[in-house]
Amino acid sequence: MIHQKGIPMKSVDESKLREIFGENNVKTDPSDLYAFGSDSSVHHAMPWAVVRPDNTEQVQKLMVYANEALIPVIPRGGGSGMCGQTVPIYGGIILDMKHMNRILEINLPDVYCRVEPGVVDDDLNLALKPHGMFYPPTPASSRIATIGGEIANNASGVRSVKYGATRDAVLGMKVVMPSGDLVTLGAHTRVEASGYQLHKLMVGSEGTLGIVVEATLNFVPIPEYRCMGIANFDHLSHAGAAIGAIMSSGATPSMLELVDSVAIKAVNKTMNLGLKEVAASLIFEADGMVKEAVDYEINKMKEICKKNHGSDITTSYDPKERAKIFMGRKKLFPALSKYDDSLSSTSLADDMAVPYSKMAEMAGKIHEVAKKNNIIMTAYGHCGSGCMHTKILMDTKRPDQWASAKKAITEIYEYVRSVNGTTSAEHGIGLSKAESFKVEKADSLKLLQTIKQALDPNNILNPGKLMQAPEDWVTATGLRYSVNN
Amino acid sequence: METKEKTKFKHLEKWESTLSACIRCGYCFEHCPMFKYTGWESDAPRAKIITAFGLLSGELEPTKMAADKIFNCFYCKRCEAACSSGVTLTEIFTDAKKDLVEMGLKGPGTTSVTDLNCARCLICVKACPHEARFHGEDGIETDPVKCQACGICVEVCPAGAAKIENNFGTGREDLIQASSRFLSTHTSAKAIVFACNWSYFPDLQASRLPESETHDKDYEIYVNMCAGRLESQLLMAPFLNKAWGVLVAACPEDDCQHKNGNTRAKKLIQGLQSTMERVNIDPARLQVVEIPAGDKTLFQAQIDTFIDRLNAMGPIR
Ligand SMILES: Cc1cc2nc3c(=O)[nH]c(=O)nc-3n(C[C@H](O)[C@H](O)[C@H](O)COP(=O)(O)OP(=O)(O)OC[C@H]3O[C@@H](n4cnc5c(N)ncnc54)[C@H](O)[C@@H]3O)c2cc1C
Repeated sequence: MIHQKGIPMKSVDESKLREIFGENNVKTDPSDLYAFGSDSSVHHAMPWAVVRPDNTEQVQKLMVYANEALIPVIPRGGGSGMCGQTVPIYGGIILDMKHMNRILEINLPDVYCRVEPGVVDDDLNLALKPHGMFYPPTPASSRIATIGGEIANNASGVRSVKYGATRDAVLGMKVVMPSGDLVTLGAHTRVEASGYQLHKLMVGSEGTLGIVVEATLNFVPIPEYRCMGIANFDHLSHAGAAIGAIMSSGATPSMLELVDSVAIKAVNKTMNLGLKEVAASLIFEADGMVKEAVDYEINKMKEICKKNHGSDITTSYDPKERAKIFMGRKKLFPALSKYDDSLSSTSLADDMAVPYSKMAEMAGKIHEVAKKNNIIMTAYGHCGSGCMHTKILMDTKRPDQWASAKKAITEIYEYVRSVNGTTSAEHGIGLSKAESFKVEKADSLKLLQTIKQALDPNNILNPGKLMQAPEDWVTATGLRYSVNN
Repeated sequence: METKEKTKFKHLEKWESTLSACIRCGYCFEHCPMFKYTGWESDAPRAKIITAFGLLSGELEPTKMAADKIFNCFYCKRCEAACSSGVTLTEIFTDAKKDLVEMGLKGPGTTSVTDLNCARCLICVKACPHEARFHGEDGIETDPVKCQACGICVEVCPAGAAKIENNFGTGREDLIQASSRFLSTHTSAKAIVFACNWSYFPDLQASRLPESETHDKDYEIYVNMCAGRLESQLLMAPFLNKAWGVLVAACPEDDCQHKNGNTRAKKLIQGLQSTMERVNIDPARLQVVEIPAGDKTLFQAQIDTFIDRLNAMGPIR
């Protein structure tokens, strides 16, 4: 059974929930439900209840109950998902995993740690730091994102170009299935060839296949040296050529970021940083245990930038100087929010990935489409991993701006697919990106649904997401903005 | 969502575009004392912003529960410091409070209240850094919009009549209990650090470390909101539980969010130090340090220096 939008029931047995979780771990007041109805996306919908487990048994009991009563259950971590992954499109119970937040083990000799899913990424890194280690997939939202949410979204970040995404760091996990069964997937070892690698299937499943209740993660040593550089470019295409050249040169950047002219202007306008208003800047970084090796990497990248008409190239090992170099990129978020009082910075079509050789063309395409549709879009991102971020600045009160945004997004994704790119590099699909996802994965949609059906026959786990999400994201749920009639 | 019938939130109205500009990233969670205490996202600053939006748009009924979300705030402004969109959250909360009060929804939330045993001595009225306490028709009252829950009235009230009922773990008894729990469960425990929320930049958000990482901890930090709220009983309690020392972190002089919380704390500590001297306890075991807002490095350095000093002194005999 697939839950349909508009199912009128609110059939949750509150006393049952209180029995499982205890009085203080269940919320049903509208003021709480309203707050749990949104995340960092444009969507909003009301859940019927929010529960907070402290242990695996409670999660199992909930799933047995929900599976029998056919109630949707939506696992939630920090609620920083940008595509509505945790928005309860058909109502149901929000399973707030933030209280299962114990770091269970830091095993140095075997180079892994075991954590509960509610552990916040930054907290894990704070715990690893005294041991000289770090957990590298770290997204920009690491101060709030939980390991559970990162696994379910396959989160990645600025350093993923060198260290990989969450999928690369997950060795194994314990998962509560929709039936309430507890399964142990993967292993505690670096490599495994025993069967289907189901733990990797859970990565990126957006809470639709199982609830992660424990994860075993790999970590790596904190490098002794970090050197960062910046290069400006007068043409996007030159920056694009530099990206491709760096990535194919054998250099191993630990970060390679692009910011476009719109982004630079936004930062200058709102933060007064006085950055040079060029077509694009590349920020690059190398890290390692041996300074000579880092020098080698950084010089290689510098040379490539120069060869591709990069100018004003500077590099530094000094943490303060590095912070200065990164300032423009760091301040981009607040800058875009403050760009214009009448415009909101929305997370839409925000993280596509394209082959390296298409990065610059992609940025150009974004500008072209934005102009045509009378909205403002900026292009920046982790170009080292092929990921392009955008933000759409629009007057969210105006219905016509939503229509323009929708049109622009469709056009941009058409381009992404035409160059063999993918809909989402790191933020996931949820509700907002289902339209393009379904086209991109057209020939495997049935397969995806078969897997979902096999693992969750009653379709109770985060229903209505990914391949099940409505095509029209604007009307899929309520919007978190007031839109004029 | 479609805008329903426009509401009576006339103060909140001016924030309409800001409420949309907030990207709801949730970066404001991490240092919110409310969230740290209850662990519920719906008590955290982002939820307050969502609540304000809901109230303004008419999607959320202005009930007591919804109002409490807004009234439960210590105004530590950690959320503002962390905001990725530069939203001045507490100004929005204050305007929402104004509207809610006009609708008869006054909290109290974290607002301080006055018990019947109040002697109307007016000490709290004079001490309140926010001019929130006044002599009204019903005796000493608090303006729920102006009150920022610093707790200075609670500290100065000789009758113990000024109270913050919803103190979210920052009350005297909570802190005494928490610190004594730490001291009795950690054999290596030496010091308790009481930090005002401006000087203290808490590290771990809410995640819990394994025993192996924490068993040899020699100090624990407790947030008490404002140093001006500290009392002798609280500062002395750890010594009764065999602490070697107590460190207080306050804002630098002239930079106190609650005007004179830091000077109050200093005066109190000076008094306690002389008492300690009289009973032959080295007064250096009770120290106050000034930490500019969010200066984590300096704060850690001061703690390390204090612990070094305690190590040189050894336990109290
Ligand atoms: C300002 C900002 C910057 C961001 N930057 C990045 C970035 O650089 N890189 C990046 O990858 N992402 C980024 N994100 C997106 C987001 O933060 C990440 O995807 C993050 O991993 C989500 O974690 P969360 O704990 O908030 O998960 P939530 O949003 O709460 O949930 C995300 C998904 O995980 C599922 N889920 C949560 N817990 C569990 C569990 N225990 N078991 C099963 N499923 C679960 C949910 O059902 C949902 O489908 C950013 C977001 C914001 C707001």
